[in-house]
Parts: sequence; C-alpha cells; structure tokens
Amino acid sequence: MSQMLSTAEAWSWQDAPANAEQAGGLRVASLSPAALAGANSDLAVESTHFASAAVGVASFALRAPKFKTQSFLFAESGCGATALLPRAAHGATIDFAAAAREMARANAEGPARPCTRIKPPGDVIKLQDRLSYILQPSLESLITSDALSFPFQPFPYQFEGVAFLYPRMSAVLADEMGLGKTMQAITAVRLLLHSGDIRSVLLICPKPLVTNWQREFTQWAPEIPLAIIEGDQAKRGWQWQLRDVPLRIANYEVVNRDRDVLTIPDVRFDLVILDEAQRIKNRASTTSQVVRSIDRSRSWALTGTPVENSPEDLIGIFEFLAPGHLHSTMKPRRLGQAAGDYILRRTKDKVLKELPPKLFRDAELELSPEQRHSYQLAECEGVLRLTELGESATIQHVFELVLRLKQICNFDPATGESAKYERLVADLEEVVASGRKAIIFSQWVQTLQILRERLGDFHPLEYHGQIASSRRDAVIQEFKESPERPVILMSYGAGGVGLNLQFAEYVFLFDRWWNPAVEDQAINRAHRIGAAGPVTVTRFLSLQTIEQRIHQVLEEKRELFDTIFSGAEPHRHLGLTQQEIFGLFQLRCPHGPLPAAA
Amino acid sequence: MGAASGKLVSTVGFLSVIEHENFGLFGGLLLLNAAGRPVEFHCTAPLKPSRAQQIFYGPTLEPYLYGEQIGVSLLNKVQSAPPVVLTDVAGVLAVRDFVDLPVALVARGQLAHRGTRFQFGEHELSVETTRFEDQALVLSLLRVLPESFDLLEPFGRIHDAIQEAQRVGRAA
Repeated sequence: MSQMLSTAEAWSWQDAPANAEQAGGLRVASLSPAALAGANSDLAVESTHFASAAVGVASFALRAPKFKTQSFLFAESGCGATALLPRAAHGATIDFAAAAREMARANAEGPARPCTRIKPPGDVIKLQDRLSYILQPSLESLITSDALSFPFQPFPYQFEGVAFLYPRMSAVLADEMGLGKTMQAITAVRLLLHSGDIRSVLLICPKPLVTNWQREFTQWAPEIPLAIIEGDQAKRGWQWQLRDVPLRIANYEVVNRDRDVLTIPDVRFDLVILDEAQRIKNRASTTSQVVRSIDRSRSWALTGTPVENSPEDLIGIFEFLAPGHLHSTMKPRRLGQAAGDYILRRTKDKVLKELPPKLFRDAELELSPEQRHSYQLAECEGVLRLTELGESATIQHVFELVLRLKQICNFDPATGESAKYERLVADLEEVVASGRKAIIFSQWVQTLQILRERLGDFHPLEYHGQIASSRRDAVIQEFKESPERPVILMSYGAGGVGLNLQFAEYVFLFDRWWNPAVEDQAINRAHRIGAAGPVTVTRFLSLQTIEQRIHQVLEEKRELFDTIFSGAEPHRHLGLTQQEIFGLFQLRCPHGPLPAAA
Repeated sequence: MGAASGKLVSTVGFLSVIEHENFGLFGGLLLLNAAGRPVEFHCTAPLKPSRAQQIFYGPTLEPYLYGEQIGVSLLNKVQSAPPVVLTDVAGVLAVRDFVDLPVALVARGQLAHRGTRFQFGEHELSVETTRFEDQALVLSLLRVLPESFDLLEPFGRIHDAIQEAQRVGRAA
C-alpha cells in the first residue's frame, strides 16, 4: 500500500489513531475524501510497504435451508377428501397464540366479514380428513356461492350450530327452546344436500309438529322436495319407496307402525334426524328400538331437554347416536366429558342478549277456605290409605293421590272455588285491556274446559288433545291474527313443543308440570326469537300443598344437570323419581330408599 | 409451471407464511376452485433461519425465505399449477422472480406495500412495481370469481390448517 501524504496529513495520520485500524497485523490508513482532495500531487510522498500477514478467513456456506413439505389433495365437491400424498406430520410443536393474536389484529384492521368455520369433530382422526373440513369455505361463503337465500338473516350462533352439525355423523343439538334448532337443522341439511354429501334424509318428529316442520322447510329451504309420510298403509308404503324425494318427514307413531318397511335392506338413509329426541330416552321402548334399527350413515338428535329426569335419558339418546359410547356406570362428570364433543347446547341468556327478557312472577296463593277443607280431607284419607296398603302401595297409588290433590289446588270439586282462578281473571283483564295476548297452560284438559266456560268473556281458544289435528293450525292462526281472541288455553302435552307463539307476551302456568323442562318448553312457545317484548310468566303455586313440596324437591335436584353440563346454565331439567314421589308424603318407597329430599 | 395468460381460471392459489417466535416460519399454499372449495393444500415444516443467514442476508432475508425458498418449494409441489397466486404477506411477492405466474398481495387494512396497486371488489391488491404488467393479468384471471368473494378469508383457512397439522403432529 502506498500513498502520497502531505506533512499535515502525515501529522494527521500520527495523531489520528482513531482513523487507523489494526487488523491481523495489517495496518490500514483511512483518509477522509476532503484530505485526499486537498493533497498536492507535487509533494513528496513517503510510501510504506506493510509486511503481508497471514489473514484468518472464516467461510460461511449459506446453503439453502432444507425443509419438508406435506401435501393434501381434495375431491372438489363436499368434504370427501382423498389422501394422495399422505406423510407423517413432523413432530415439531408450536404455540400459535401469538400468530393468532396477530391475525386477529390484522383482521380487525381489514374488512370485517362474518366468518363461521366448520371444525372437524373429535372422532375424525386422520389429518387428511380433518383438513378437508378445516379448509372448507366459511358457511357464509358456501351460502353465497350456492346462491342460497334466507327469509331472515340467521344469528351468528345459529351459523355456529350449522357448522357444528354439518361435519358430524352423530350429534345432539340441545339448544334451549326458542333458539331455532329447527332452522339450524334445516340449513345444515340444505348445505349437505347441495354439496352432495347426503342424498336421503328422514326426519322423525312428534305428530303435532309434522306440519310445523313442513312449513319451516318451505320457509328455509324451499328448493328441497319433501314428502310427508302419512295416510293408509298402502300410501305410506308407496311414499317410503319414492326415489326422487330427498327428504321424508314422519311422526314417531308412523315410524313405529312401519317398522317392517324401515328395516328391509333396501331402505337406507344418509341422515336420520330425531326431533324432540327425548322420545327415545327409554332404551327399552319400542320407539327407541325402531329408530335405532333404521339403516343410516348420520344420526342427529334435536332436543331442548337432553336430560329430563336422570343421566339415563342422555344414555338413551346416545344409544341412537353412538351405541355404547355412554353407559350407566359413568359418573355425571365423566358422562358430560364423554358426551361433550357430540352435544351443542346454548341458552338464551348466553347467546341472545338482545332477546327480550323473560320475567317470572311466582303467584304463591293461599287456598280458599273451601279448597283448604277439601284438600285436607283428601290428603288425610289418601295418606291413611297408602299407610294401610303398606308394602303393597305402588307408585300408581301415590300418583293418584298427587293428582287428586293438585286438582283440588286448581278447583274445589265441591264448590268450584279457586284461588288461582280469581287471580287469573284479575291478571287477564289487565292483559286484554292492554291489547296483549296470553297463553294459559294446564296439564288437564278438564281444567282447561272449566276455564273455557268461566273465561267466556275473553273468548278463549283451545289447543289440546281433544282438538282435532286438522283444526289445530287454524286455531293457532286465529289466535295470532284475531284481536277478538286474546287468550288460548293449552295443555302441556299438545302445546308444549314446536309452536311459534312469540306474539304472546303473557304465559300463565295454571298448574305445574312434574318436570321444569316441560314447563320451559311451554314458556318458550312465547319467549323465542321474534318476541317483540318481554314475556311475563306467571307460575301459580298453592302454598302449603303438594305443589309447594314438588317445587322444593325439583329445586334440590338441579345440581345434577349442572354437573353434566358444566354449570353452564341457570335452569336445569329434572323430574321426580319414584322414590321422590313416595317421599312427598313421607312414605318409604317399597322398592327403594327414601330420599333425603322428601 | 407454465405461463398463466389466456388460461381460464380453474383454481386460485393462496400462499401465506406464518412467523412463529420459537419455531420459525411455516408456509402454506391452498388451491381453491371457483366455488371456494379446496382442491390442494401444501404446507411446510417449520423453517428457522440461522444467525449467519440473518446477518448476511440482512433485509433480503425475508423475500429470500418467503419467496425463493418457501414459495417456490410449495409451488413446485402442486399437481395442477394455479394461473394466479395471491398472498397476504409482502415477502412472498419475491416468488414472482422464480415462477412464471402472476403473484399479488391482498391488503389487510392499510396497504404498506409500495407496489402497483389496484382494486378487486372491496379488496386492494398490489404487485411488484417491476411486474406492473401482472396487474391486468391478475384482474383478468380473477374475473371469474364474484367480486364479493372474500380474498382474505382463505388465508384464515391456511393458518387453521397449519395449526391443525402441528397439533396432530404433536399428538402423533
């Protein structure tokens, strides 16, 4: 290295060690451009030859990184994916929380669109199959691309319900009544039919709900042809054999009657849906056995009350969905865990913040003196008789006494006196004066008929077992449309399920059902999506009577439901056991221990 | 991979890279048909650059890894090459130098990338300025999709699928 330097620059060299670097014995001078520009070429230059030194060299081979890839190919329609290049997933594990947060942040900045994704159920094991679900478009995209329309925009939780059902071979949609299980099931069926994943569906429901399902399908999936299985045996036989109808609707009684047709090898369904699936909670029942015998690929159960009385109810439903998956020896918590991936349950208070409130008024009434007299007489006689029967007393004997006492709580058989009726009339006058509509529930048709006669000024309509099925739709229509008919009298049995009466803002439970779940079903006829205002529920309860004792026992039983469903909801659905019914009169059940609850 | 121009869009490729603090980079390529349904999916094992690479590649590391390494590897795996590739990560645009098909960035919110910008439906897209001619090609190839098609939604699927692959791999 040689360089011509001025004296000044040479001085600068010596006094500016910061401009020099010592590297491996090689001294390197650095000069500023200004210094070089100012150098005079006439000046003598002193050159210094540095001795060359050994330079250590480190080499870095920046090879392209090596990494594995996994590939998955999918059939273009539906979820029927085929693994063409299956490879074992590598063992690396990651936590995507940070990435997910980042994505959420980024999404928040971008165009906000609803996006409900289909998640694979837990029993889908192969990665290829799981990805075939995960990589499907969002439900919203599927609906857009298939040009499907809805009469109303579904709620986000309803899309989640559809996304839950869509990939599942076995599922229980157990939403609280009024959240739209019907619409969710119909939409899932609709999407599966459009994708070609299913081609034949059998929907089984209680008889009074057949026309309701038909109406709902017409509203939510008008393009799907359906057949109602009804009529005489020959007609039904022909309807079962129809090839070009993807959807059949039958009631439980028809299915029972046609079990021989349903079990022949030729009859097979891609999907069987049970509405009000608590109908098969008793595994030994004929209905349960018949529906379980139907050849099918997918099994869905719809019920607002998966556990009505005991965990056995849920086990009964699972015998249809996944036989043997649940069994009686499981403790409630284990049962809940095992059932977890199969069940989706939401309650109104969790998902429908905007639904008008449901206001409960407990009308705790003293019996009239005449009622009290009759009540005490009947109770003394009844308990005495049961005591005399001793070990030969059956649940039927106790049950008869309970019913007798409850009827007296409604109306005194001797005088017709009724504290409940007096209160009901006062309330109804206010309801009708304000232009509202009211539903009155009782478990007895006889009670409803007495009320019909006494409430003549309100022109009440009736909807119960003695009203012909062919007339029922017209009754509901009149109740909905006629301002002259502000009151309807309903039995829990006929009016408790499937009806949409959200235009009624008042519900009266004239007497209480054995099971709060059935009461909830009844109340939710009015308190459901579309309700215009708060629904006021008045529950009549006669103090110091069998009604109050039943109420107390039911309250104490709610813990079990909470245990199974992780305490996720405020209301539970449990009925009375045989022992508990005996316990109402402090009697020992001949076939079991006396529970502490009594 | 052949040139895309003039082809009818049968699939659209969505290519994304996720960066994880501990494990590095994961690439995913999803091919969708015009109905938005999956046709092919390819993903990489995690890739972590060495310290030396970070030093020597400097600011070119991201396009090198995202585009030349991950992007090219994934596109080489496809059974049927998509005529157009969209990405949500700017670094992936570098793959364009190694493949003969247009690659466009779909913006999330404010578009930071300083390329040639254009609009598809409500989405803002961009291509590298040096590839400005890709703009017309991308628009032409995407025309078979409805304008309401959410171009960002498939990237969510890729992220979920990579996560699932990792979860299953961890359990295996």
